[in-house]
Amino acid sequence: MIDLQFELNGRGVTARVKPHARLLDMLRDVLGETGTKEGCGEGECGACTVLVDGLAINACLFPAAEAEGTKVTTIEGLTQGGAPLSPVQDAYLQNGGAQCGFCSPGMVMATVALLGETPDPSDTEIQEALRGNLCRCTGYVQIVQSVRAAAETINKGGINA
Amino acid sequence: MDTYQYHRPTSLAEALEARRQEPEARWLAGGTDLMVQLRSGRAGTPPALISLRHVPELKGIEDGERLRIGAAVTLGKLALNETVGQRFPALLEAIAAVGSRQIRNVATLAGNLCNASPGADTAQALLVYGASLEVSGTDGQREIALEDFFTGPGATKLQSGELVSAILLPNPPSHARATFRRKARVAMDIATVSVAAYVEIENGCITKVRASAGSVAPTPLRLTAVEELLMGQAPSQELLQSIKTLASESVSPITDIRASEGYRRRLTGVLLQRSFEALFDMQTAKGCAR
Repeated sequence: MIDLQFELNGRGVTARVKPHARLLDMLRDVLGETGTKEGCGEGECGACTVLVDGLAINACLFPAAEAEGTKVTTIEGLTQGGAPLSPVQDAYLQNGGAQCGFCSPGMVMATVALLGETPDPSDTEIQEALRGNLCRCTGYVQIVQSVRAAAETINKGGINA
Repeated sequence: MDTYQYHRPTSLAEALEARRQEPEARWLAGGTDLMVQLRSGRAGTPPALISLRHVPELKGIEDGERLRIGAAVTLGKLALNETVGQRFPALLEAIAAVGSRQIRNVATLAGNLCNASPGADTAQALLVYGASLEVSGTDGQREIALEDFFTGPGATKLQSGELVSAILLPNPPSHARATFRRKARVAMDIATVSVAAYVEIENGCITKVRASAGSVAPTPLRLTAVEELLMGQAPSQELLQSIKTLASESVSPITDIRASEGYRRRLTGVLLQRSFEALFDMQTAKGCAR
């Protein structure tokens, strides 16, 4: 077993995991943060997208050991302790960006990463940035709308994604 | 997927020594190919992974007579590098084709090359830019030209215990032009066919040219026949037609789940023709020596 120390959603955590554990396993099974989903386990669907030091990555391909000393943000980190939904989550809710919701945590995290880099993305930029996130329900139209709406809210209010 | 130990060396010497002690251990850069292969069983059951992500000698982008890109530099970081974007635009185009942002935020050039898929997007661009690889082992360092590196699908000239420590790119002259094109079925897909083209044109004549194609042979392929055809010629519509024909004949694709052999042949010719068309200035020929 190995012991890891890192920051998860703004708080310092320690975790003991097997050396071959993936970040996805550590988040879900060891730390009990089950918001991040396993869709394909191969880095193709993006359902497991989380941010590590601000960068969107697939937690199914990311060794848990590599989280040592990093700042990890998961879907749970967007709202803390009873706070209302973050602007991106609210935009998805208001614009039909989620149906079954399985792809949504990953889709939202990828959106957060995009808007952090490109505050006012075009539709093409949104589609390119989210091409690593698959959705079987929505047909993507409402997802793009949700991202646009989120961008508008954030830019108007001068707040963070 | 079996169990393995996980090592995080903090120097190249430490990494090489760890591998010397465990010859069956695998190098881990981005892991976007290896982690998938470990899960599917294709990578067997190595006793350990040796992470290269914290080895400083592998993490720099250094300018000089040649651009040196460390093996652990991520595609995401490369995509943001101004020097790369200005000097090697075809490489940037190839990087943009790889996977997704999530993949590119951890994946590396060295990993793409060492995985040695015949369709490795970055390989086609690096081939036309004349890239070489700096290879490090416990015995020391050596250099291998990229065009000599691949030996078959998934196979390279790396000896046991060696790793690619950097990609070396000679700096092109300011009038050089290059492009990368690919055709795939959907956004997140391996190329059905990919091509790259590089040309220097002086006084209306082609003075240097390189062409490559991917997913149409057991390895990324440099199309020397097309290069010989173009060398010393003036750009023209006839020349573009000849490129299309010759390129199709110069490759040996297979029929597989993505496309038939015939479609791949045709696509190679069309993509390469369009690539060179984009790079040519259609000037009147000024009597090139041949």
